[in-house]
Amino acid sequence: MVVLLRPAAGGGARRGGVVPTERWFWFLGEQDAQGIALPVTLLFALLVRWCVALHGYSGRGMSPLYGDYEAQRHWMELTVHVAPSEWYFYDLAYWGLDYPPLTAFQSWVCGRVAHLIDPSWVALGQSRGIETPASKLFMRSTVLVLEALIYVPAVVLLFRSRQMPMNWIARETSIFSVLLQPCLIMIDHGHFQYNSVMLGFLVWSVYFAARERYLLMAVCFCLSLMFKQMALYFAPAVFAFLLAKCFRSPYGVQLFVKLGLVVIGTFGIMLLPWMGSSAQLHQILIRVFPVARGLYEDKVANVWCAVNAVAKLRVMFGTSALVRLAAGATTLAFLPSCVHLFRAVKRSAVGQALLPADAVKLLCYGLVNTSLAFFLFSFQVHEKSILLPLAPVLLLIHEEPWAVNWFVQVALFSLYPLLFRDGLQAPYWVMAIGWSLLRSCPACPADKKTPLPVLNAQWLTMLAMVALHAAQALIPPPPSLPDLYVVLNVMFSCSMFVIFFAYFNYRQLTLPLVRARTARSRTKKDN
Amino acid sequence: MLGATDIAFLGVGSGIKLLLWPAYHSTDFEVHRNWLAITGSQALRRWYVEDTSEWTLDYPPFFAWFEWVLAHAARWWDPQIVRLDSMGYASSSCVAFQRLSVMVSELVLYAALGRFVRASGSSMQSKIAAALVFLSPGFLFVDHVHFQYNGFLFGILVYSLVFAMEGRDLLAGATFAALLCFKHIFMYIAPAYFVYLLLNYCVVRGSQRRAARGGRLDMRASAWRLAKLGAVVLAVFGAAFGPFAALGQLPQLGARLFPFKRGLCHAFWAPNFWALYAAADRLLLVALRAPASASSTRGLVGDTSFGVLPAVPPLVTFAATLLAQLPACIVLVRGRRSPQRFVQSVVLCAYASFLFGWHVHEKAIILILAPLGLLMAAPSQRTLRMFAVLATAGYYSLFPLLFGAQELPVKAALLLMWVLCALALLRSDRNVAAWACLSAPERAYVLGHVPLFVAAELVPSAAFGRLQFLPLALVSVYTALGVTYSWLGLLVEFLRP
Repeated sequence: MVVLLRPAAGGGARRGGVVPTERWFWFLGEQDAQGIALPVTLLFALLVRWCVALHGYSGRGMSPLYGDYEAQRHWMELTVHVAPSEWYFYDLAYWGLDYPPLTAFQSWVCGRVAHLIDPSWVALGQSRGIETPASKLFMRSTVLVLEALIYVPAVVLLFRSRQMPMNWIARETSIFSVLLQPCLIMIDHGHFQYNSVMLGFLVWSVYFAARERYLLMAVCFCLSLMFKQMALYFAPAVFAFLLAKCFRSPYGVQLFVKLGLVVIGTFGIMLLPWMGSSAQLHQILIRVFPVARGLYEDKVANVWCAVNAVAKLRVMFGTSALVRLAAGATTLAFLPSCVHLFRAVKRSAVGQALLPADAVKLLCYGLVNTSLAFFLFSFQVHEKSILLPLAPVLLLIHEEPWAVNWFVQVALFSLYPLLFRDGLQAPYWVMAIGWSLLRSCPACPADKKTPLPVLNAQWLTMLAMVALHAAQALIPPPPSLPDLYVVLNVMFSCSMFVIFFAYFNYRQLTLPLVRARTARSRTKKDN
Repeated sequence: MLGATDIAFLGVGSGIKLLLWPAYHSTDFEVHRNWLAITGSQALRRWYVEDTSEWTLDYPPFFAWFEWVLAHAARWWDPQIVRLDSMGYASSSCVAFQRLSVMVSELVLYAALGRFVRASGSSMQSKIAAALVFLSPGFLFVDHVHFQYNGFLFGILVYSLVFAMEGRDLLAGATFAALLCFKHIFMYIAPAYFVYLLLNYCVVRGSQRRAARGGRLDMRASAWRLAKLGAVVLAVFGAAFGPFAALGQLPQLGARLFPFKRGLCHAFWAPNFWALYAAADRLLLVALRAPASASSTRGLVGDTSFGVLPAVPPLVTFAATLLAQLPACIVLVRGRRSPQRFVQSVVLCAYASFLFGWHVHEKAIILILAPLGLLMAAPSQRTLRMFAVLATAGYYSLFPLLFGAQELPVKAALLLMWVLCALALLRSDRNVAAWACLSAPERAYVLGHVPLFVAAELVPSAAFGRLQFLPLALVSVYTALGVTYSWLGLLVEFLRP
């Protein structure tokens, strides 16, 4: 069969270790059609998202409680019809609001629009469990629009900024890969959530960090936190980064004060409707941080859940002891990375300037390592929380091609039990194979940049994942262990995440940081 | 063998097609399911008689055999599919089976295009042209959403055209005859085949056979070739229709294959000459303030009646089509005959029947666009311009086929992506990209589809008040202008000796 679209001979050095995504952009460059690269990427991202959205969502047709889809819709219903003072008190048994205020505001805006188009979609009480095609279409489009407004521009701007130095092909490939990362698409557009808003604000704050606009960075991170409390997973790294920046010589204290004011201001504005009463604020706090719910939810690929397969922690300790245990372990886990981040940035603030590109890289590694620490060791983790480490991991896709490709494969695999419940097997397979085909190294053994042992290990894990899927499809689990396959999935994914955690920590601590002064003189010479 | 890029290309295409499974499917889905049931559960003599469902078998016998093969797989997959009484059966397993059968059978098109690329010397431009045909919105909309098997059928057509390009005329003729026995709509382009095979294959001149035109007609060799071609074509038709002739069912088949009961225009006016004619009639009606008798857009499939302009009987459309097909034959008679000119003639033939035919479906635009797409391997500047205009208008005219709000982002994104790629990647034989070839009015026309989309798809229908037909009429008139314009341009280009 003739090879369609293969770049003509004479591609030179670039041609060897190139994944199909890179080859596409390479081809566009060769055809002098760079202009269509970004539009086609964006349209393709839109197409894939909408196609996934044609499939099932969480809790479809599962009366009386449904799932995350109904929770989000219900919040629109209640925020539109109930006064803000009632928002965090209204019928808590039926999907009471338990996200921070920005989510509530987003629900209110979407709810107003829904009310304008068709009031029955958000009629108070009447609309519970509404699943008409038109209302579903509306819900799906809100996710798409919010992502297009917040997440997508942040990613495009970040990779197109001068602080991310890479050639055109690498730039476009990175944008394509980040926007088509399967996990976020599957959870937001399949399962149904608005994670891209929280992660979008996070990417915005990385973007502003790259542009050295630290106040805006702080604002964006606060917005991320105020959308979903889960963004706390990133807080230590962001805090360490910004604090270190306050040690720079001339205006350090000034920056510190400004940052404090900006953070307090952002939180204040977000909490304005409830400022009057401490009972209200307290209610928001206990709704947002429901410690009583337990160590983890369902089966999650984090350490506690994996350990639980061997030792029943929940039986051995009380809740408060477990909270302390989890908090201690998490702190220990994120400390090395945060201390390193703080010291490296502080050193640069004091004397030797850090290249902006290195600062961004360092921040991304810090974000990856703290959020992974939280995912693996903290209290009350969802399987969906893997999206949080994934976001900064993907920003490193150019630096760590094989690690990121592999991480995404495993993360998607760890989401399988959840996606299976939502009836999203078909898109799961398309996205899993699609990612491996377009991005991953085993699919293109020509990639010479990947060390051979890694390639082999990646092949092995892929085989393991496929074998687990095959076993689940063909062999029914023994009656005594009905959750066998889910537990196996958890154990596998968890051990992989621990390995990645160790690897990314190692990479951060050994990151060669080019000093700006020497680098600057070198670029001058080049010019 | 499949290379890494083939796999990536096929993988991305198949991924999107797989994800589109839950999207809207038309009644054609049930039509084909019913044909699976008929061929899978009934004896041969019942195939064209069976009428439990209103969707009776009305494709020629080879397609029935194709369904028969599929029915075997379907019985194994889910026996419910092939039962005559499971009317309207569209469970997820049935959808999966039918959608999958479209995707798998479409590989014929992929293989055919691969052969086309090799026949064109594996040039980059031929690969781009082939890729744009394979992933065209035409097949994606009509096959993978609306539901039909065009990919498979056009694969056979491309094979036949490539055989002709390779100089294997007899094989090309046989393949085309087989294609006619799959779906008789391809008769639209039969005149081009007839003339080409007659002149290029059957007529042998002088001693060096085909080489020189000036040579004397070699009667014996020509007669022998004519006999060979005739025998092959007859054999194909005999294989298809023979069994039914033996059963004495030919009149029944004829009635099924050619139902002359439909109106001039389809429910949605396909963007052809008659759409412009009907629109002119409407405008005159308003201008003359004549009393309206009936609106052709209000009635569904039925007779179109005109208010001011004279009615168009089928015979007139027939004559107009034949007249318009004359240039297609002239292309083959004048100047040097080459496979390239043969494909041009096929395009003009398809064009003639699309523009002037009776009850033309908008889907028939693919019959023009697929062969013309093959010419995009090395097009002249004007051909490329006309293709860009025609493809944009023609594929846009398929939008009303997928009318649901759910499919809106799908069709918009797919068409935009395709048009962007086509305009940036296709190059004329002087190495100028398509967009750079377009004149200012042509660019304006292509861009004009954006406001058209906003008016026809995004503005709520309530805004049109009593003129509910306006958005659809707007689409068919606007796209008909582009289709007709490209026809004139291609006529000028192809008729140059």
